[in-house]
Amino acid sequence: MSDAAVLDALAGLALFSDLERPQLQAVAHTLAEEAIPAGQRVLRQGFSGSGFFIILEGEVAVHVDGHEVATLGKGDFFGEISLLLGEPPVADVLATTEVRALHLAGPDLKAFLLAYPAVMFRMLQAVSRRLDRANRRS
Amino acid sequence: MIGPSGVASVPFPPGEYDVVVVGSGPGALQAAYYLSRLGIDHAVISADPAPGGMFRQFPFFQRLLSWTKPHAGPPHDSREYERYDFNSLVAFEVENRAIMPALMDGSSEFPSRAEMEAGLVEFVRRTGLRIRFDTHWEGTTRQGDRFVLHTPAGEYRTRVPIFSVGAAQPLLPDDIPGIEHASHYVDTRDAASYAGTRLFIMGKANSAFELASGLLQWASPIILASPRPAQLSVNLHSLGGVRARYVQPWEDAALGGGVFILDAAVERLERHAGGIAVHTRRTDTLDPFVAEVDEVIAATGFTAPLLDLPALGVTTFGRSGFPSMTNSYESASVPGIFFAGTITQGVAGLKKYGIPANSGAVHGYRYNGRIAVDEIAARYFGIVRARREVAPEDVIERLLTSASTAPELWHQKSYLAYALSRDPDGAIREDGIVSLAAYVDSDGPDGVAITVETDDQGHIRPAVYVRRRGRVDADALLDESPLTEYRTPQHRAQLGALVADVLG
Amino acid sequence: MALSTGDKRALLERVPLFGGCSSDMLDTLAAVTSESDFAGDAPIVQQGQIGNGLYLVVSGGVRIVAGGSELARFGPGDFFGELSVIDQRPRVASAFAVGPTVCLALASWDLLAVLEKEPGIAVNMLKELARRLRDTDAQLRS
Repeated sequence: MSDAAVLDALAGLALFSDLERPQLQAVAHTLAEEAIPAGQRVLRQGFSGSGFFIILEGEVAVHVDGHEVATLGKGDFFGEISLLLGEPPVADVLATTEVRALHLAGPDLKAFLLAYPAVMFRMLQAVSRRLDRANRRS
Repeated sequence: MIGPSGVASVPFPPGEYDVVVVGSGPGALQAAYYLSRLGIDHAVISADPAPGGMFRQFPFFQRLLSWTKPHAGPPHDSREYERYDFNSLVAFEVENRAIMPALMDGSSEFPSRAEMEAGLVEFVRRTGLRIRFDTHWEGTTRQGDRFVLHTPAGEYRTRVPIFSVGAAQPLLPDDIPGIEHASHYVDTRDAASYAGTRLFIMGKANSAFELASGLLQWASPIILASPRPAQLSVNLHSLGGVRARYVQPWEDAALGGGVFILDAAVERLERHAGGIAVHTRRTDTLDPFVAEVDEVIAATGFTAPLLDLPALGVTTFGRSGFPSMTNSYESASVPGIFFAGTITQGVAGLKKYGIPANSGAVHGYRYNGRIAVDEIAARYFGIVRARREVAPEDVIERLLTSASTAPELWHQKSYLAYALSRDPDGAIREDGIVSLAAYVDSDGPDGVAITVETDDQGHIRPAVYVRRRGRVDADALLDESPLTEYRTPQHRAQLGALVADVLG
Repeated sequence: MALSTGDKRALLERVPLFGGCSSDMLDTLAAVTSESDFAGDAPIVQQGQIGNGLYLVVSGGVRIVAGGSELARFGPGDFFGELSVIDQRPRVASAFAVGPTVCLALASWDLLAVLEKEPGIAVNMLKELARRLRDTDAQLRS
């Protein structure tokens, strides 16, 4: 993918909607793009060393103890809860189609959020909404 | 090749083959070797006139970053020795192993480019591999279940092409006006020709620092710039980042010696009478900054020359445009198309703590090639490796020996693993070296996979993955050992407890 | 009644969302809060209105009402509307003063300004939300 296309893809993500172009370029160099074939896990329940992912293309299913609890698509992110808590993931995230995603290593998440407070605030909002939905279900 | 009539004959005329390997660098040679030892009919075609791949030209400053230690300990023809020899291709026959230590002149544990090239030529000679040179793959079409590879010599038809075409095609940013005033890393000239030059290097990854190191005594100032900070491979616990040999410019910058390292994005280049004005914007302050220099070199990466494969449906990803692949290096979108060599770095594996595998380098992909060829052999030709039975009382020792000495585990930590399974007949058999991601994500019989892993603090430990009722639920790390020797009572006890219910 | 920074900090400390914050961080937050006085029965927030921040009760009392019935009563030290400081969503209930009441308010836009300067506060808030999310998900599964 060309550099211009990479930046456009990043700029289109809600998480990065407050960033200036040079910051987007820095983010593009910080996050590694990965391809996950359909059927493979992206996040593995119970495993150490997990990371943070933002979906660029494709769909994933979130499974807890073998049951599908959610699906995520373009622009959605996952993996941050485990990293923030320092615990292994409690869910499997499985690519249901071929997926392209941005990956940030677990140890780098905190520094990344501190470097981009606007991104962190967007993440705060998204997590807050997830909590709201979870509370309504309970 | 001289045929019986005494006339040189070129191997692999155009036609139909069970497998066609494209390339003649280390990845292609290793794949061709595995195919030949399995007796699978195949052709090897290459645009080059001789073996070597990228090593016919790179590295620029002529010594490799990967080492071969002649005095490491294990006998050179043993599997254990491969852990200390990053440069030889691997072989089943002892006489074809460890070609590099015998060939290197002993002046350095890093082979020269010429030595590496010679080692690959020697591997071809000893193993009897045949290659059709000067045969340029120019395009690809499909006919039913066949792929047709078009070359000036004619068409090669196969159900299974293996593309081992490297990643040496220069990548220049496409969104920077004036980029045509920059030259790419691959066009770097003789070092002395940069004497007295004010130099701007776009990039701060390993190749940028390699250039800065090689030109350190010639160019001044040397400005290295890219949007984000440089990282050292020793801090990343991997081959990513700037390798140890190329840290000199970093030290120079720290001491104010004429190297400058900036976190800035290049916005445009302007050529004028006095040189080139490089307009940048700093990533930290967002302030503009203009550098006046004589030359700009873009160390901005490479891509794999996949030609028309994307048009055929091969999906790619990232800036480098590597193909999306399965854990056995098959295209994720076009079954039958396989890849070997440095391209296999596109399969990330578990990438725990963000630490990548060594699949971009010879010592990583020489093992990946076997995974790909075994998959091809089983799926297309019904050739399945015999799985040796392991007595229950030998299980622990076998697993810990693998963790302590298996070269595949040490070169591809947390990526390749050694696995044992309990078969329906109750016997425990070796699965051998497997893709760890494939093992943990697929259903299968009860069993155990063991590998070696590094965490983000640099601690290396054996990692155990137990499969029960078709599922791997968690990873379990054994204790560290100062000299990475895991055949100790303590490790035996830990491992024994973990696997007792499946392999006890 | 003019609250000291120390008083404000003591109130903010009780909010779990700011649980991981240091005294310095809490002082920074305290500096952007504002006091509001309410007469008895005065509305503080209306159900369905877009929420813009959290309220801490300094003195007096607050009645939480939704769908015509009273859900809760809060007194000094209690707080409500916690998550709306992050994300402006419609208030799920109305709040009325019980007798003369003083509240300390933290508006979401003031929080955002603080977070840009002290991103460490946001990391703590994220961790707190992450913990709650994991606990809630665990409850849902059990």
